[in-house]
Amino acid sequence: MRVSKLLLTVSTLAFAAFSGSAFAQDISREETVIFDLDRTIQDPENFNWMTPGTKRMHGAHQTMWEPLFILNYGTGDLDPWLATGFESNGDSTEFTVALRDGVEWSDGEAFNADDVIFTVNMALTNEDISSREASTIRAQVASVEKVDDLTVKFTLADANPRFVVENFGVRIFGSFLIMPEHIWNGQDAATFAFNPPIGTGPYTFTSASSNRAIWDRNDEWWGAKAGFQDLPAPKRVIFLETGGEESRAQLMASNQIDAAQNVSIGTFEAVQAQNPNVIAWHQDYPFAASDPCARQLEINTTMAPWDSAAMRKAVAHIIDRNQIVNVAYEGTTEASRTMFAQYGSMAPFIDAIVDAGHGLPASADVAAGQALIEGDGWVRDGDYYAKDGETLSVNIHVNSASTEYTRTIDVIVEQLQRAGIDAKAVPVENGVFWGEVLPFGTYEMSYSWLSCGSVNEPWASMGRYTVKDVVPVGERSPGFNNTARWDGDAAELYSQIVDKIGTMPLGDEAIPGMVAEAYAHLDAEMPFIPLVQAAKLLPMNTTYWTGWPSAENYYNHPFFWWNHTHQIIHNLEPAG
Amino acid sequence: MTDAPITRSERRQQKRLKRFDNPWMNPKLIWGAGLLLGIIALGLIGRVLWDPELVFTGSATLKLPPVGFENLRKQPGVWSNPLGTDGGGRDMLALIIIGAPNTLFVGLLASLIGMSIGIFLGFSAGFVGGRTDDTIRVLADVMITIPPLLILVVFQSAFGDVTLTMMALLIAGFVWQSPTRLIRAQVLSMKQSGYVQMAQLSGASTSHIMFREMMPNLVPYLFGSFIASVTTSIVTAVGLEVLGLGPQRIPTLGRTIYEAINAGALIQNLWWWWGIPTLLLATMFIGLLLINLGLDEVSNPRLRKLS
Repeated sequence: MRVSKLLLTVSTLAFAAFSGSAFAQDISREETVIFDLDRTIQDPENFNWMTPGTKRMHGAHQTMWEPLFILNYGTGDLDPWLATGFESNGDSTEFTVALRDGVEWSDGEAFNADDVIFTVNMALTNEDISSREASTIRAQVASVEKVDDLTVKFTLADANPRFVVENFGVRIFGSFLIMPEHIWNGQDAATFAFNPPIGTGPYTFTSASSNRAIWDRNDEWWGAKAGFQDLPAPKRVIFLETGGEESRAQLMASNQIDAAQNVSIGTFEAVQAQNPNVIAWHQDYPFAASDPCARQLEINTTMAPWDSAAMRKAVAHIIDRNQIVNVAYEGTTEASRTMFAQYGSMAPFIDAIVDAGHGLPASADVAAGQALIEGDGWVRDGDYYAKDGETLSVNIHVNSASTEYTRTIDVIVEQLQRAGIDAKAVPVENGVFWGEVLPFGTYEMSYSWLSCGSVNEPWASMGRYTVKDVVPVGERSPGFNNTARWDGDAAELYSQIVDKIGTMPLGDEAIPGMVAEAYAHLDAEMPFIPLVQAAKLLPMNTTYWTGWPSAENYYNHPFFWWNHTHQIIHNLEPAG
Repeated sequence: MTDAPITRSERRQQKRLKRFDNPWMNPKLIWGAGLLLGIIALGLIGRVLWDPELVFTGSATLKLPPVGFENLRKQPGVWSNPLGTDGGGRDMLALIIIGAPNTLFVGLLASLIGMSIGIFLGFSAGFVGGRTDDTIRVLADVMITIPPLLILVVFQSAFGDVTLTMMALLIAGFVWQSPTRLIRAQVLSMKQSGYVQMAQLSGASTSHIMFREMMPNLVPYLFGSFIASVTTSIVTAVGLEVLGLGPQRIPTLGRTIYEAINAGALIQNLWWWWGIPTLLLATMFIGLLLINLGLDEVSNPRLRKLS
């Protein structure tokens, strides 16, 4: 208890010290909205989002940098933002995007087609920049040209009917962000720090340190002048690293933050009991909103013994998804049946896969898994399997940023241990996990959601495991695609089908059948094992601000670390 | 030779004298040892009477309170988990049956190794003197200034998952310096005493003098020092575990507290999750403290008279 109290005291002191400096100017708590940040800002002086690190989700792409479009999860439409619309040619190889008139950078320069073309060309020509969005642009775009000051034409290398939503629509987490040409021109995009940063958003950067970033409203914002949107109500936006679930909950209960990252349901109920102003996506059980990134166990298919499809399949048999749902999520989510998010819009593809017999069961079949292990020559010797004097063991890397992740892996470690595999969890700090472990393949298994992408069509997820993205261990996987490094005959066949799906128009009737056909290879080889659907229980505080997104007030989803958070901030209104 | 039998009052007197004279029959010592033995017994007997498998994730319903209490969801405690369960469905009773002896084990092993190093180096420095003394003394002095937790945090993060023995070995590297200094000082003063010089004159070897002549006289000091370093080792081990750096799948009291903090047990009022391990740790430290006080009295008769 002494230690825990000490921790609490330290975090309270840290918070007090920070709030002292943050609120030193005359902006009151009532005019400030404070969001929770679940990670340390590794390099607070650097705002080059094209390189890895915490460069965006500490407020930069929620307040300062705006996307061209925002995919509305409620309606399925692309809400126009910096752009007003787009047109494509018949075979989806040319896209013409119309930009909004009157957009300005916060230093007064006009935002126009030159900025878009400059930024896209930077991604096309600079091989050293590595963010997922830049890699995707590089893989898809053949050339980009200016039609006039507010019109840009993209020519693609291959047909891609979802080009705009995929790159500029905030479909998952971020979008390709346009940078000001008048500042970036002549800089090396792989090393430029972009400090001080500017953007087109209604907030400008004020200060940042490793545990918080502060953004203040720009009352000269173009959107209010051009009649696009009113100025948002909060004068100041803060992203604050809260630490673990306990401190997050305490800060929420005492009104010191307005929106918190994921907590477990027990914690949420306790917070709500102490502070009835705290709400979540649903008013009642299970409270949580479903996240489009289903959880999975990623397997490095180049490392023995997991280079054997039978061994990977064995692990898939041993995993009991029901137990993960009940223990790690306390019943707030459901088991995955395929790699896809179980949204209504994905049902035709999920059904096709399940009907073809490739769906995953919710419960385990340990005997079947053990038979496969034994079929691979392993013999149970006491607690564990062994072959040639070597114990069957596996290290599972897990991002330690959230208890959701570590609890899931605890359950899986237990299940594997009982089945005879000496599994160990290796908790890794967030930055190391995303920066070193996953992209370079320095793991045996890891907890991830890298098949994430599809919300209304199957290609975005399936296209992430094709053979063209396979790189050797030690080299960076392009855009976190196929970090499992899955190749071989089955992977080739899978990739051929998926590539073909990629060029077909959305809604083509042949697609579900093709998805099932491709999925047969995925199911047989298991380069990753889908676990459960992700549910995010995000406490939001109505003491100072109302207008939070919820199932009743569904203007968009509540994941406030995404690029669409502009919509949330514009919807906030002072309470009382 | 008179064979007259002693009277009853004489016998009683004698018994009382014997009790007062036997320094080892010290009540503090007995209580302290009793508390520690109780924890060890809990581990040994508990393993037989209770199912140790319940210590693993998902063995029972989550967050059940101890019998006689209700949790925030109004679930009452059940007898199949008399001390309640944690947020991962682990049985608290099984956790302490396995975890408490583990914590004690790390402390004992670490200080046993540390003490052995300390005894060897302390005697060598004190008895051999010269360059050996200089080297050992400087080394110990330097090590005393280094905060062990700082180094250990780095070590353990680098190692990832460690075993209990591994952790004990790492800690042992930081508990030898104080015993070394202490023993060296004692040896230096003892070196001048008559029996040591006699032994030297009669040609006894250095190791004979060190370990056969002088060591027995140092036993109470060594014990006291040992207990002190057990305490230090346990504090260090628990400190690491509470930071989440100890062994991961092996239950320890510190790790249980770490998990409780991590999962928001305070705000959910799951007091049994962090409270029971804390209580056991407190018991352990009180036991060690009593033993230490008792040993002090054993080795220092003046303290005994005062009490």
